[in-house]
Amino acid sequence: MYSQPHMYGQVAYAAPPSYHQPGPSAYSYQQPPPPPAPVYFVDPNSFRRDYAARLAELTINSRPIIQTLSMIAQEYSKWAEIVAQCLEAHIRRVPPWIKLPGFYLLDAISKNVYDPYTRHFTPFVIGLFLETYQQVDQATRSKMEEMLLTWRTASPTGKELFGVIPQLAIERGIWGGDSNPTGATSGQISRAQVLSELEFTLSQKERALQSNAWDTTAQRHVQILQQLRKLVEAGVSQDELRQILTQLRSLSQAPQPAAAAPPTTTTSYQYQAQPAYPRQTTQSAFSPPVSQHSSSTTYTSYALPSINQPKSEPVDSASLLSSVKSTAVPSTDIAGLYSALLKAGIVAGTGTPVGAGATATSEDTITSSSENMSRDAARAYRQSVLSQNIRLTNADITRKRPNIDRLLYDRLPAQCKQCGVRFSDDTLGKKEMEDHLDMHFRQNRKANQSLGRGHSRSWFVDLDDWVHEGRVDVKGKGRADGPRPTTNKAALAVDAARRDAELRTQFVVVPSGDEAKSLSCPICKETLKTEFLEDDEEWVWKNAVRKDDKIYHATCYAEAMGSMHTLASRLRQDTTSRSRSGTPDASRATPQKGNSSVRSSQSRSPDSKRATLKRKASVDDCSQSSVKMESNGTPPMKKMALAP
Amino acid sequence: MMSDSHSDGTQPDMKQWVLEPETEYRFELDPDTSLAIKLAHGQAEVFGAELAEGKTYLFGTECRAAVFTWQGCTLEITGRPSTEYVSEETPMAAYANVHIAFEQMRVRALRVVHGSPASDDDANANAEPPRVLVLGPENSGKTTVCKILTNYTVRAGQNWSPVLVNVDPSEGGWAVPGAISAAPIRSPIATASPANPLGSAATSAPTALSSNALIPLSYWYGHSETKRNPVLLDRLIRNLGENIRQRDDDDPEARVSGLIVDTPSSFASSSGSAPDNRHTLIKACVDAFRINVILVVGHEKLTVEMQRLFGNRFTVVKIPKSGGVVELDHGYRERVHKYQLHTYMYGQKIDPPPGITSAIVGGEAVADLVLSPSSCVIKFGDLTIYRIGAENMAPSSALPIGAARMLSEMQPVLVDPASSSSGLLNSILALLAPFNPDESERYDEEILDLTVVGFLVVTSIDAPNRKMTILAPNQGSLVGKTALVGSFDWQE
Repeated sequence: MYSQPHMYGQVAYAAPPSYHQPGPSAYSYQQPPPPPAPVYFVDPNSFRRDYAARLAELTINSRPIIQTLSMIAQEYSKWAEIVAQCLEAHIRRVPPWIKLPGFYLLDAISKNVYDPYTRHFTPFVIGLFLETYQQVDQATRSKMEEMLLTWRTASPTGKELFGVIPQLAIERGIWGGDSNPTGATSGQISRAQVLSELEFTLSQKERALQSNAWDTTAQRHVQILQQLRKLVEAGVSQDELRQILTQLRSLSQAPQPAAAAPPTTTTSYQYQAQPAYPRQTTQSAFSPPVSQHSSSTTYTSYALPSINQPKSEPVDSASLLSSVKSTAVPSTDIAGLYSALLKAGIVAGTGTPVGAGATATSEDTITSSSENMSRDAARAYRQSVLSQNIRLTNADITRKRPNIDRLLYDRLPAQCKQCGVRFSDDTLGKKEMEDHLDMHFRQNRKANQSLGRGHSRSWFVDLDDWVHEGRVDVKGKGRADGPRPTTNKAALAVDAARRDAELRTQFVVVPSGDEAKSLSCPICKETLKTEFLEDDEEWVWKNAVRKDDKIYHATCYAEAMGSMHTLASRLRQDTTSRSRSGTPDASRATPQKGNSSVRSSQSRSPDSKRATLKRKASVDDCSQSSVKMESNGTPPMKKMALAP
Repeated sequence: MMSDSHSDGTQPDMKQWVLEPETEYRFELDPDTSLAIKLAHGQAEVFGAELAEGKTYLFGTECRAAVFTWQGCTLEITGRPSTEYVSEETPMAAYANVHIAFEQMRVRALRVVHGSPASDDDANANAEPPRVLVLGPENSGKTTVCKILTNYTVRAGQNWSPVLVNVDPSEGGWAVPGAISAAPIRSPIATASPANPLGSAATSAPTALSSNALIPLSYWYGHSETKRNPVLLDRLIRNLGENIRQRDDDDPEARVSGLIVDTPSSFASSSGSAPDNRHTLIKACVDAFRINVILVVGHEKLTVEMQRLFGNRFTVVKIPKSGGVVELDHGYRERVHKYQLHTYMYGQKIDPPPGITSAIVGGEAVADLVLSPSSCVIKFGDLTIYRIGAENMAPSSALPIGAARMLSEMQPVLVDPASSSSGLLNSILALLAPFNPDESERYDEEILDLTVVGFLVVTSIDAPNRKMTILAPNQGSLVGKTALVGSFDWQE
């Protein structure tokens, strides 16, 4: 409640699964995006320059930007090679936390335009995907996995978007081993892979359910999938993972009609024609949206399966292909899978599984298996604690020898080398320690990513959130060590800091000739800083964004947009009448006290971490328009860290 | 026991200390010095938080602490503390026994929640989790006892998350001095500096230990002395208790971890404040937190007094005081207040002693602990500031017996920043949560029951232009637009 909403007035590009979104909601997606500025390019160089500049603005997951860029790509498909080069360079260049929007653009272009772009993307998509996957955080990884799964059937013919070889190569790269469970040489199947595929199938089914709430089959599928997810999360054997994976695949593939059959909106779960804007080969304006059916038929005429196969195939392609073919063979449905699990004794069948009531009971039995383990552990602990004969009396407390070594040390032999926290060496303890180490890993990565970015104390949480915080916890999971910020307001603060940093990386290329011109942000009236970008060999305005032919500080603009919805803006409405008048001399009021040494924000000294991050002021800081942050320019300020 | 390692030639100030089982290395630091401690072998803990072997831990800002070992250890210590020695007499065995007794209460309470059958042990034993009030005179180590008991609890590996409560307004806890607060603890609380004795409140930085990203619930009392406005303190204690109770109702499994309440020494001192007052406040705590154990640290007379008051309802136990507790003078406490506010705003920065290149502070990488507050100029109208209670109030003990002065003690008095006598310059303000948005739910004294969102400092006042500069912990908006001022000042 105390953090700003992070919308920044931008609509996020929907995560990939929404391509599959059947039903009415899909139509909203078909709104034609605002046409890009009518610029016509005659030579490839100026096109390259313009496209690169527009790409540079793709630093947040913004649907309008992605659509615009995708439309330009469609319009200028004759320069597909340039688009591909720019896009590849962009994704490689930007920092990990803004790579995902770049991939979403690649995804959108490939699915919308397909030819000739997939041909141009295929040569680098494997390397780029895997490289990026290594660099990004867990949340982004799962987004990428989701996207990758949509690629399996995203070509106009319902086949792999970039062809079967790149698809398998990427899947192998991220999930390791042979990603195909039925392959003869299958290696280990990771739980992560099964979970992401589960997640993917589940989201398909859930959407189907959304469009038709009375579809009992879908309801049941969703329930079973949710139970499966719990099972897998709790931990199952390799064999079971393999089994689940096989059945999952057959499930998501089985109901899929032959390629290019126009899907019907209500019942199909599989890949729907990408909600495309109509293909136009002319460079003129865009025509109004067309229905999904017509757009998917447009695709059929574009089916060019031959380009799925790159000219030079890796040596093992034959075996890959054969293993793929064998995937589709089993056609058991998910209920069959569930009953197989029942038989295997993994799931205790209770009651008649009909409707939601049954789900509740079988869910209980599933969770109980993992809960049993922790209850057993709790029981063992209880016995060892109660066996100690100590009462709360002065005599007992001062005279007895405590058996504390056993309770705090010997019983918990496994120790985290980073923070010293201990765990037992039974199954439960091992799992807890694994989670704990994961937590450190994530935290370290976050810390590395946020180095030098500047942090601040968060506001305390709202009373309601404090009171109900306990409920957020999944029972027995990570309560001991989980960094709580992930589940509460503090996480929003972390997010805010990250977004802020992302905004700061935005820039606008200075039009040639204007390098010397000084430009100020219409919101904060401060001059925009220029900087020379080595990579692009161009002068740019840093922390800048172009809106309606005006250039703003990206941070100011975002704040201004974001604050439309905040409490602050509501408050501002009360005070606008008496605001503004006296602000210009506000910065004069800055006191300078103590041993505060003013530190230049440009300082790159190793010590610069101590200097606070330069903060761009905006009228919305500190609650109202009448509140003016001390600017970071001329007036001395004291926003720097001091040695204690 | 101690050996210089000059022969290494690497670290001139490094000394090795070999500790026998159940002994502790105690140290005190001067201002502007720091100490680096590395556990070379064995097992060791600082106030119940275990050290990881091979990691270098930094201590600073006049920290006075001890590294205790149950089984013996070797420490490598770099830096020049003003005092350092090894003690063989510690109250740790007694504290451990108390912890085990509390664990017995927790596991019994959990069994009831789980509905498991009672087994061989005494089935009629109380199945309530420990809700502990820790009392003691000045310099008895109450806060340390609370910290050790909390740390042992979270180390049990049972996913306990006890709520640690600080009702000592002179201490600050996770907030700043003047506040009383509560926070659930899930990982051991590290010790590095007196500026955050109970762990740190959350920042935007990622943390390794959740005890450095705590989510406190905080109320603003505004003074260090409990006798300044006991009526207000009483009300805030009850508010805190009420919210903890709601939280417990919400999550019965979290409830079995119990709670531990640290108290001001004025609760224990027989001199100065009238016994009525402190009894009133102790009773407020007992009621509000549904206390079922009172621990009295090293004070026989108080133990007897408490046994007389509460002995028929629950256990009152005296526990020994540590010989390592240092007498803290007034000047030291003042400096600690400054450190606390500085740490709240700017985070914690401890420069390692010479020769130490990589080290952690309270379990966190040093770089992550540096924070950037935000200074901004606001108009007088942007923030409504109140002081609770009439300004030149006589102590309530000076009133005739039975005289009601509720009104003036609880009265929010509007403070006009334009007035030269406002006393706002350099004052610490507590920014409050917004009033209830639903007009019909509003009530007269609602401001007394609003929780604290954060703390601000008025760094300059420009009366002619009706503006003031405030230092805020972050750039967020001034939620609620209402703040309370107390009697705390801070200047950098």
